[in-house]
Amino acid sequence: MRLLLNVNGMEHELDVRPTARLIDVLRLQLGLTGVKEGCSEGECGACTVIVDDKAVDSCLVLAVQARGKKVLTVEGLADDDGLDLLQRMFIEHGAVQCGFCTPGMLMSAKALLMADPHPTEEAIRLALAGNLCRCTGYTTIVAAVRSASEQPAESSSTPPALDGAGRDV
Amino acid sequence: MTQDLQYVGQTYPVHDAPQKVTGELVYGSDIELHGMLYAKLLLSPIAHGMVTSIDSRAAEALPGVVKVFSHLNSPADVYCRARLTPEQTLCPRDETLFSEHVRFVGDRVAAVVATSQAIAEAAVALIDVQFSELPALFTPEEAQRRDDLPIHPGGNVFFEYDEECGRPGESTDAVVVGSTTSTPRIHHAALEPHVCVAQPHSTGGLTIWSISQGVYGVRTVVADLLGLEYHHVRVIKAPMGGSFGGKTEFILEPVTAYMAQKTRRPIKLLLDREECMRATMVRPATVSTIRTTCSPEGQLENMEVASVLDAGAYASSTSDYAVHMCKKITKLYRFPYYHHRSQAVYTNTPVAGAMRGWGAPEIVAALEIHMDRVAGELGMDPVELRLLNLMHPFEVDPVTEMSLGDARVRECLERGAAAFDWSARRQRSPGSGRYRRGVGVACGAHKNGMFGKFAEASNMTLKMNEDGTFELGASLHEVGCGIVTVMKVIIAEVLGVSPDLIAAGEADTSSTPFDYGTFGSRVTYVVGACAKATAEKLKEEIIAAAADLLHEPRERLTVEGGEVHVRDDGRRGVAFKDIARLSHMRHSPAITAAVTYYATSNPASYSVQFAEVEVDCATGLTAVTDFLAVGDVGQAINRGMVHAQFQGAVQMGIGYALYEHVDVDEFGRSGVDGFKNYHIVNAPDMPDIKVLLIEHSGDDGPFGAKSVGEIATVPTAPAVINAVNHALGTSLSDLPATPEKILAALNPGEVEA
Amino acid sequence: MPNAELLTPGGIQELTAALQRATPSSRLLAGGTDLIRSMHQDHWEPDLLIDLSGVRELDYVTLEDGMLGVGSMTTFAELEADPLVRRHARCLAEAAAQVGSAQIRNVATVGGNIANASPCADTVTALVALGADVRTIDGGGAIATRPLTEITVGSGRTSLAPDEAITEVSFAALGADHRTTFAKIGSRSTVTVARLSMALVVKLDVAAGTVSGVRVALGAVGEAAFRDARLEELLEGRPANAESARLFAEGCTDAVQRAIPGRYSLPYKQHAVVGLAYDAWNALGLCERCEPAWG
Repeated sequence: MRLLLNVNGMEHELDVRPTARLIDVLRLQLGLTGVKEGCSEGECGACTVIVDDKAVDSCLVLAVQARGKKVLTVEGLADDDGLDLLQRMFIEHGAVQCGFCTPGMLMSAKALLMADPHPTEEAIRLALAGNLCRCTGYTTIVAAVRSASEQPAESSSTPPALDGAGRDV
Repeated sequence: MTQDLQYVGQTYPVHDAPQKVTGELVYGSDIELHGMLYAKLLLSPIAHGMVTSIDSRAAEALPGVVKVFSHLNSPADVYCRARLTPEQTLCPRDETLFSEHVRFVGDRVAAVVATSQAIAEAAVALIDVQFSELPALFTPEEAQRRDDLPIHPGGNVFFEYDEECGRPGESTDAVVVGSTTSTPRIHHAALEPHVCVAQPHSTGGLTIWSISQGVYGVRTVVADLLGLEYHHVRVIKAPMGGSFGGKTEFILEPVTAYMAQKTRRPIKLLLDREECMRATMVRPATVSTIRTTCSPEGQLENMEVASVLDAGAYASSTSDYAVHMCKKITKLYRFPYYHHRSQAVYTNTPVAGAMRGWGAPEIVAALEIHMDRVAGELGMDPVELRLLNLMHPFEVDPVTEMSLGDARVRECLERGAAAFDWSARRQRSPGSGRYRRGVGVACGAHKNGMFGKFAEASNMTLKMNEDGTFELGASLHEVGCGIVTVMKVIIAEVLGVSPDLIAAGEADTSSTPFDYGTFGSRVTYVVGACAKATAEKLKEEIIAAAADLLHEPRERLTVEGGEVHVRDDGRRGVAFKDIARLSHMRHSPAITAAVTYYATSNPASYSVQFAEVEVDCATGLTAVTDFLAVGDVGQAINRGMVHAQFQGAVQMGIGYALYEHVDVDEFGRSGVDGFKNYHIVNAPDMPDIKVLLIEHSGDDGPFGAKSVGEIATVPTAPAVINAVNHALGTSLSDLPATPEKILAALNPGEVEA
Repeated sequence: MPNAELLTPGGIQELTAALQRATPSSRLLAGGTDLIRSMHQDHWEPDLLIDLSGVRELDYVTLEDGMLGVGSMTTFAELEADPLVRRHARCLAEAAAQVGSAQIRNVATVGGNIANASPCADTVTALVALGADVRTIDGGGAIATRPLTEITVGSGRTSLAPDEAITEVSFAALGADHRTTFAKIGSRSTVTVARLSMALVVKLDVAAGTVSGVRVALGAVGEAAFRDARLEELLEGRPANAESARLFAEGCTDAVQRAIPGRYSLPYKQHAVVGLAYDAWNALGLCERCEPAWG
């Protein structure tokens, strides 16, 4: 069936199966492989995209459910002027290791900041509760989101350094 | 040792962070090739039996299906998925591409190759497989008892190892303490599922995109199995979304390569999360019984350990693992007599294999829980007991007979205890209300590479381009912990130029010099040392070229700030880029260096970790409320990443202690099939992990650096368990400490664990 | 595998026309978080898939004549944030807030959750305590109303006909003299299926210091969430004090024993429910914070 989708600001006319998942249409038909599949059951959040300003797991949404809505993937965060502030903060804070959870984390964080520009740390962690990471332990990710928010960071955004080299705690 | 360092010790993002935040990076699971086919496995639904018939006609008739594979049309040669090198020992060959004799729920029975993933999946459902079931054994105890039911020819206890050193002491006033700790099977839970892409060539060769941790090992296993010459098998390390050891062994590569060869088409075999949990590999479940004697003051005397490892249905690397479990304790504590026996046992359960720490988390969990028991028996503070017995710098490990190097575990413990305010927190009563707080400590040790086991070495080339930038040729295997960046920073430090001027890619057997891979905590210490040596040799070449240009002898020249100039004459010098450009036609067409670096030592890395927990005695749920990880890492190369590695490692260890386990039911079926029922710690439950680094640079790794990635997770789980036991006054030693087990311990006889 | 036929009704009229064609193999697509996962993992498709996202009339929260009406397509995120739900049915807002992750809450709907009939469904527990009725429409356009407890008959089973769609859940709005809360125990603090859940509604007589109109619903014990009459009687008219909390917790243990005798999880749940009971009691703020007494 024919489906019109607006993805990253661009209209696409697609031929899809009615039960095609949004993740498959994005990855396979639109080549947006930044949307990752980690679990196929909406638990890991690697497939998170933003639909009409709300974070959703694209593995649990049919493409047809995005009809008439605006879909934003990680590929749509940067623009001609450069990386989104969140993307820059992720890089700066070392929030990227293997990077597989990164697109989903960015989208959940983006949706959070769109709705709540001054989130508390607890709100950040809750917003990311559906995004699993096995590499970072989340500290650098939370710090990156906090830096990107308009709220001044309550504590230093560099790793909590009780650095042993020559300095007493 | 303080060093005057310009680049080493700063904080850098991983080299491909920009590609990762834009979604641009193509991971193994994203690879699409022209004409590529998709494969789906049919996995055994039974734990033990023989395939008596396979009827794939309906599957083959489905439009889009290219071929159905099974034991009926595949070689029956046995291989070992962990065999990295041709002459490797401890690699029992007991696995075939497809099993006729299935040995666990998840064993490979067949595969469909089709023009789309959806068609392949639909076709698998159409294959009719009949089995005749055999009795199945689900625990090592059962398997040991039932020698009449061998899972493989040769018996179920397929490997035994014995380590003994020193002489038993016979003090009459010795205090005897015993403990038994069991650790569960767990899932690596790397966010990217397992995948392999293989492309055949009409010349008879193959290209394999492998998200493994050792491409040369893939080549060894695949080429030998398929009867191909090594130079016709090209294995490329594809970007991977995490591994933690779960992709060290060659689970998908042999079968994908075979199917590609036979169909003469490129094939992608991508597993889903359920298949990853059931049918790849797990950390082996272990049971370790420890018996120690010590003086009434707490001086350890004899340590006797027996460990049983559940290898699951195939041996994989469990023999090697069983050996290594016996080589950790003597890195930590000094005592006159050590006897450690370990056994690897087949069961009809998911295959065990490498996981971060390679036996150290398993045995250190047992050891550190045991040490707290000893402390309790003696009425001693757990930190004090450990301080009495921990190794000192430069002591010799009696098992490996090698120096532990600049071993700073005592300092980790002392400084950590102070930073964590250990004494005050330990003495505070947990209370007897609903919520009880406790603190725990644990020490861990790990190695730095495989020196002592075989000729531990790495090979690299480094060249300077005509514009003064650099290219590293090395078989690097980035698993997400930033090793490519580490190499660039090391080279940058030697050459005195920004790491941004250095390009480094990942392993490709057709073009990068041999390296074993990323495992065994060898990368910073050995591969990094190779990078340093290679950079130093290149520096000599650069100086030689500059000498030629400046008409000065080498001895008068010095390197600084990206240029070579005459010592004490700043006006006379030449920048790197000019050296490269001008030398290109004159001195040499390429300024390059090639080095084979041999490790000559294998010190220990250490971590001491402190946990504070709060247990809800009504529900058994435990929150980790505070955590400090102290690391004796020699020298942080990428400081921010070292901190982040500890934080991630602690996430894994907390899961090991409290949440994660892969159990099988009475039919051998795993109870977990996704993150819905396999919980890894999420952001709200993760405390802020404080990290304290002890950096004495006393060993011969690059700039004194030692390994970090594995040691960081070694003592985490026992720190948490010890904290729970402190909070509750219990002696839990059966990981994970789930709410059921906690309530059972608090209400004996009323709640089943 | 034959493709499902997709129907996207644009309103109630078109919905009934679509429902007319429904067979037992047909499915309604609300949020889709349960359905799509099942279709993908178990490799099946319904013959007819009726996408409700075009039926905008089903996404609302209204208060009329003391009755709160929640359209079946209202998402958990909307429920959590809705001021009417927060004021007049707080336990429902709290339950919605604890379903899964933000991504799930943005998509999953209250109607879909009921139709999925998981014994662990958090909002169902809250709705049972609120005494919710469910309104449906069928292929003939017939509108029926029945108690929620008659819809969720067992684990994964409802009494809904193949051509019947939930349009609304409704219940009497709680007044300012009511206190209500939802609590659950999972395997961890967030993003976890409930192992035990509870919704508690009481009317507080501030002057007398007593509670009445007690409604207690338990979820994730047994096939479907239920109200326990014995437990409610236990608290009815009692003073809002620590002793009542203790009796309540004890009563919860009895209730769990009665609900799942012989079940493997009983030993754990009958203990853990004490914690849940105290969590719920304390959340109502009826008296000083109480703790279970320990031996």
